[in-house]
Amino acid sequence: MSNAGQQATRGLLARAHSPDSVNRIYSEKIQYRTLHLRPSSPPPAAQSARTARRKKRQQEKAKKKQRPAPLSARERRRLGLHDVPREGQKYETYEPLCKLWMGYMREILGRDIYTGGPNAAATLASAEFHGARVEVVRSRCPGRVGIAGIVVRDRKFVMEIITRKRGVKMVPKEGTTFRLTVEAPAPGGEETSGAPDSKTFVFDVLGDQLMVRSADRANRKFKGHFLKNL
Amino acid sequence: MLLKAPPSVYQAPKCFVTYGSMGHTDTKQLPRRSKPWSTLMGLGFIHREIYEMLRHHLVVENPPPSYYRVTMSLEQVLQGDFFTEYIKRGNILMLSEGTDSVDNMFTLREGVLTMYLDKETYERAGLVGKPHGAKGNRGLKPRWVVSYDLRSPSMLRGKKGFDRLVYASKKVLNQPLAWLFCNIAESTPHPDPLQQHYPAKFTSSPGVAEVLEVSPVAISVPSSTLAEGDRPDLEMVASDLYEWLSLIRLESPRVRAGDHVDPYLSRYRAPGDASGQMVVCRVSWQGFISTQWVRGLLAALVTKCPPQAWFSLNATEFAKNIYATGNEISLVRPQGASDEYLMWEIKSTE
Repeated sequence: MSNAGQQATRGLLARAHSPDSVNRIYSEKIQYRTLHLRPSSPPPAAQSARTARRKKRQQEKAKKKQRPAPLSARERRRLGLHDVPREGQKYETYEPLCKLWMGYMREILGRDIYTGGPNAAATLASAEFHGARVEVVRSRCPGRVGIAGIVVRDRKFVMEIITRKRGVKMVPKEGTTFRLTVEAPAPGGEETSGAPDSKTFVFDVLGDQLMVRSADRANRKFKGHFLKNL
Repeated sequence: MLLKAPPSVYQAPKCFVTYGSMGHTDTKQLPRRSKPWSTLMGLGFIHREIYEMLRHHLVVENPPPSYYRVTMSLEQVLQGDFFTEYIKRGNILMLSEGTDSVDNMFTLREGVLTMYLDKETYERAGLVGKPHGAKGNRGLKPRWVVSYDLRSPSMLRGKKGFDRLVYASKKVLNQPLAWLFCNIAESTPHPDPLQQHYPAKFTSSPGVAEVLEVSPVAISVPSSTLAEGDRPDLEMVASDLYEWLSLIRLESPRVRAGDHVDPYLSRYRAPGDASGQMVVCRVSWQGFISTQWVRGLLAALVTKCPPQAWFSLNATEFAKNIYATGNEISLVRPQGASDEYLMWEIKSTE
């Protein structure tokens, strides 16, 4: 820091503290602390106001061209088309859906369910999660950890989960990790129909990376990134 | 892609010097609120404890402190007889293995369970806590502190807050750790819930009572300094005295009478003039000691030591940082003034 800057800081401190305290506070708490003024990534050029305005204009134009015009958020909320009805908010109603989902998962994974690995991961990335048995395992917000149940809606930023005792919970995907389980039959094939499932296939889904609508996820290619915050 | 090292603003340990007077000490009802007693109780887990005095050493009747080392998981601490007998009804002190700035560490003191967790464990545990460590990390990995008052009536099985803690201890914090355990309450419950976990008992017997002959030093603060309230002078006298006492504690050859060392190696001179001899005796304890025991020791010293003799007491906490320096308290009762004391508190921040 330049001398003038140093003097200015000390002067400010001296208005409230004795000279000894000024020296102590400056040398311990201010002198070697870095001051972050502006986030360093993404670089400022990408965020210039002009490019932002242009992008916005183009998006509005593209939206106007759609026929029939999609409902606005206000209209959707008022019509309540996508909400889960009150009578439907019972855990028992969704258990058959859960069984269907397990069957679907076993079908698309095939032999990968026993080996796991990148093949299974590629299939899972475009799989559908409605009806999955899920538990929130890790989250930046401590209140969300431990919520377990069946997925009722998989929206763009939020996962709606119906729990056994507490009704429908809306869990934001940001900063949250979900753990999904699939019951897999014993690898020897189904000799006796009454044999209990001996293995469970468990996988974690990182919510930060999954902030896409489930319909759009089918065609999306996921690249491998280095995740600093994990 | 370079990952930044976590910021650490080094703050030097601070030493606070106090000169005060002690009132009459009643051994049945030990004082709590006044200094130096309140500062003594403010220490956490004491690791080492030393006292020195002039001439013959006092037979101290306090029973030597005993502690156990036991391997338990957090879940076992929170359930069953151990929880009801020791935590809810009794008074214990527990310290787990680990360093609080590197891995997960737990402490239990006066019924308050404090957990020092790293970011991933905290996010998986789902317990509410506060950030811990140097401020000013943007996007880097902070550490977290979570604390629970286990003696409050809401900490029972079946209540939501406690159930979340138990869930976390079953799923996330479920590794067995080595703990140090010290029972402060006078009685142990029958049958002892601790014995199920096969503890190893340790008793810290008083260390070798060293008797040293040293060159005499006046253990007192000149009355002119006190009368005038001369701070720089008090600082000098107090620093010299603290240095001399630390050298005695380390059993350094420099303080012995008749020590001749090449001035190229050491130019230390004890404060005061150096003719004659003085006999000093040093007794030490090392282990997992509670502040109540130290308080009892101090009361015994104050009441049993002859009024004209001086004594000094030093208690050090467990080290929490990489430099291996913990908080420390040193107390000296000067010769000639039997109701006054000079105290140094050394506090090192995180």
